[in-house]
Amino acid sequence: MTFKELLETKEFIILDGAMGTMLQKSGLKVGEIPELLGISHPEIITGIHKSYIDAGAHIIYANTFGANSYKLEGCGYSAEEVIKTAVVNAKKAAENTDTLVALDIGPIGQLLEPAGGLAFEEAYEIFKEQILAGSDADLIVFETMTDLYELKAAVLAAKENSDKPIICTMTFEKDLRTFTGCSVECMAMTLKGLGVDAMGLNCSLGPEEMFPIAEQLSQFSPLPIVIKPNAGLPDPNSNTYDVSPEEFAESMAKLVPLGLRICGGCCGTTPEYIEKLCEALKDKKHVENTVRKYPAVCSATKAVDIEEPRIIGERINPTGKKLFKQALIDGDMDYILNQAVAQVKGGADILDVNVGLPEIDEKEMMVRAVKEIQAVVDVPLQIDTTKPDVLEAGLRVYNGKAIVNSVNGEDESIATVLPLVKKYGASVVGLTLDKGGIPKTAEGRFAIAEKIVKASQSYGISREDVYIDCLTLTVSAEQEGAAETLKALKMVKEKLGCKTVLGVSNISFGLPERELINRTFLTMALENGLDLPIINPNVDSMTGAVRAYKVLKAIDKNSVKFIESYNQANVGEKKPQPTAQKGTGDLAEAIENGLKSECAAITKELLNTMEPLEIVNQKLIPALDKAGDSFEKGKTFLPQLIQSANAAQACFEIIKEKIASSSNAPVSKGKIILATVKGDIHDIGKNIVKVLLDNYGYTVVDLGRDVDPQKVVDTAIAQNIKMIGLSALMTTTLKSMEDTIKLVRNTPQLQNPDGTSKCVIFVGGAVLTKDYAMKIGADYYCKDAKESVDTAKLVLG
Amino acid sequence: MIKLEKLSRQECLRYLGGKNLSVTPQIENMLDICEKKIFETASVKYLYKEIPVDSPVLHHGNDIEEHLKGCEKAVVMCATLGAGIDRLIRVSQITDMSEAVVIDSLASVAIEQVCNQVDMIVSSLYPGEYLTFRFSCGYGDYPIDLQGEFLRILDAPRKIGLCTNKSSLLTPTKSVTAVMGISKNPIEKRKRGCAVCNMRENCKFRKAGLRCDI
Repeated sequence: MTFKELLETKEFIILDGAMGTMLQKSGLKVGEIPELLGISHPEIITGIHKSYIDAGAHIIYANTFGANSYKLEGCGYSAEEVIKTAVVNAKKAAENTDTLVALDIGPIGQLLEPAGGLAFEEAYEIFKEQILAGSDADLIVFETMTDLYELKAAVLAAKENSDKPIICTMTFEKDLRTFTGCSVECMAMTLKGLGVDAMGLNCSLGPEEMFPIAEQLSQFSPLPIVIKPNAGLPDPNSNTYDVSPEEFAESMAKLVPLGLRICGGCCGTTPEYIEKLCEALKDKKHVENTVRKYPAVCSATKAVDIEEPRIIGERINPTGKKLFKQALIDGDMDYILNQAVAQVKGGADILDVNVGLPEIDEKEMMVRAVKEIQAVVDVPLQIDTTKPDVLEAGLRVYNGKAIVNSVNGEDESIATVLPLVKKYGASVVGLTLDKGGIPKTAEGRFAIAEKIVKASQSYGISREDVYIDCLTLTVSAEQEGAAETLKALKMVKEKLGCKTVLGVSNISFGLPERELINRTFLTMALENGLDLPIINPNVDSMTGAVRAYKVLKAIDKNSVKFIESYNQANVGEKKPQPTAQKGTGDLAEAIENGLKSECAAITKELLNTMEPLEIVNQKLIPALDKAGDSFEKGKTFLPQLIQSANAAQACFEIIKEKIASSSNAPVSKGKIILATVKGDIHDIGKNIVKVLLDNYGYTVVDLGRDVDPQKVVDTAIAQNIKMIGLSALMTTTLKSMEDTIKLVRNTPQLQNPDGTSKCVIFVGGAVLTKDYAMKIGADYYCKDAKESVDTAKLVLG
Repeated sequence: MIKLEKLSRQECLRYLGGKNLSVTPQIENMLDICEKKIFETASVKYLYKEIPVDSPVLHHGNDIEEHLKGCEKAVVMCATLGAGIDRLIRVSQITDMSEAVVIDSLASVAIEQVCNQVDMIVSSLYPGEYLTFRFSCGYGDYPIDLQGEFLRILDAPRKIGLCTNKSSLLTPTKSVTAVMGISKNPIEKRKRGCAVCNMRENCKFRKAGLRCDI
């Protein structure tokens, strides 16, 4: 019997009940590792499996739930040993029956980035080890997952290292979300894309409480639905469950109309529950769930359907942007993240991510950008690159269903891009061009669109996941082109039934009043069937045109969203900006009071009469010093110091722009590496130091948190950096700080010919003392951000 | 169910530095906005469980022995504001660092207040008995790497999504684990204070002549 045959022959596939509950009954003590019982007492485990088989289970879960290298560390056995034994035990119980054995894999037990410290790639390796060890099982089950990202790592590990069927179940709370905020719709969309065989829910709630979640699942999952609830809700103190086997079975039967196909019990259930479940389902027929097909993409927490125009933000793209290019070269993620957050605030529904620049490692940057952007915004992302390896790297670490930008009509593009789209379950932008360039006529572009759609379908990518881009040409160069683009758009929409996407801003190159042309063209395109305008969402008139269009086409019912958008812009939660005394024009005062826009205005004014560096040294720095002094003396609170620093930053932005436009001389007083050490994830202190150093004109290379010592060393060598700041919040991570310092000191490339160190290291963090800092070999101990600046001045001037 | 209630401004301002400062309307306003954001974002969850006082996890070093002296039972607990708060702090660090430090401080106040409520719930389960204060891993010589053991006993990763990383730091970060001793006899009123605090050599409050009198 195989899983497929089970699906074909059984009305319902019955799973087993709880393992942990049974083990507790057989005397497992608090804190003992349940998976090790398979080695010490195999007969107990086999006995439990047998009792579930006797109760009617078609599939039993091997006792491997927590058998991963992280949880088993130090227990004396490897994950491989424990898993292999567990599968043998289960197989033994299933001997001479049709029962299948599932390799059961639960969460690793450590949170993944960004909430925790475990990298996606590390999670993949842990799962891979489990999957290889469990290769004798008949299928693979991932259960009790609460993080879609972790589940994605698990599914990829399974797909790439095994050909067994995969069942995934996640654990939802009563608010219809998992602990990490994943919704049922996002789970369904992502897992379907990754090509699992069945999906559903387990643990946390009883069958009764699971009903509303199952209801959602039946709307969104085209795959067989799995439900494995607890025996009700646990009593917080005694940990006993409140639903009887009969009640359990009765409630489960109520899930049949929702498409229930595969079912069993989780915590608190026993063979008796499974027996009653079998009885309750005996005369019932399963119902095929009828899922509506609709075009959509998602992040882990937010699904965006494309049944009305949605804005794709175009600003994360270095083309033609000096400051963006510089940010990429410097690895300045804050700059990119700022653009991400600002675009979502401006009204973007999806963000395009393009980090292509010849000077950098695009693949590495794409991975970093995708990871960091998805940690701060919840909108879906569009991975924009011309390189297949960069595309795959981006898709891999993306948490949800992404859009690929793009494939075109060339055979080579089709053959390299579409398999990746399929593998990672993405949507794809199809550009209507090929080796011959962009066809002049709408018919020519339509033909390419048709080719792309057909090719996609041959790879198993459905039509609603292909978004055709009919390409905007510059109207000042080819005036007839605009009409041709619109015509093609309409043809694709009507004849191919595809969703459409279009970069709008190109239309107006070389013309004055570009915004006017852009907005008019956007409106025309929308009327001709454009679904996904790629625009700058922070240009109010563009975003406004889309909003207005939705009102006029009766998409925005009762204009609710339109009114909301503009009310919010006027009266909503705008931070009360401290009111400036206009006209005083004193930069020092503006900085002291944290008046950003005032600072920027005064700086612009000053640039008419002063040199940029003069402003920095004579105005900015003294004003910042004064703010720092006030904080040091306890005259102001920390947020006020930061506000002053941010106000100074506004000045700096203006000065940087000025310098970027006039020459290439950097306005930097020197480079400094900042890192929160390996193992430590509390980085707010380090980030405050960064804000201050930035605004004193130092170039900060921020390596982030949980930073490997080697990375600090590599960066110092590669960028020839002589000053390094390290932070650690906890006593447990001070060791990492010491290790990092040691590695820096012992690296020959970072030593002078006489063996002394080239690097000056300053350290800080809550539990650190000056004595300890000296003991572990730091040059300076800085008790706060202000002292870090003082130290930087001392060292770099 | 525990609901967050008004967060102590005084405690938050203490974290934010400044000595006996009068609060400007700007700071006041910021505190209001940040508190609202925390209320909207926090997903408070907690667990507790009675364990025998001779459980191995409660016997590491002198300070915990001292703490549980005379107690017949012990209750381990954990609480978290959830991962949403970490995200909120992360996002605000990008958009407005000054707001981020206020949210960070207020969230620390919030998790402490949640723990105080858990105390009361536990206390109500043992009428007529006496509870010690909450003692956490990392206090005095009680090793912080027991953090994972606490979570395992409480089944916290599965039940409320609370984990540790390899350095025994709790994730989500605004979280607490602790143990309270329970005794039939009145417990000498010990306070969580400088004596068992690892920060005592370096504490800016202590240097300023202040004490955490909780």
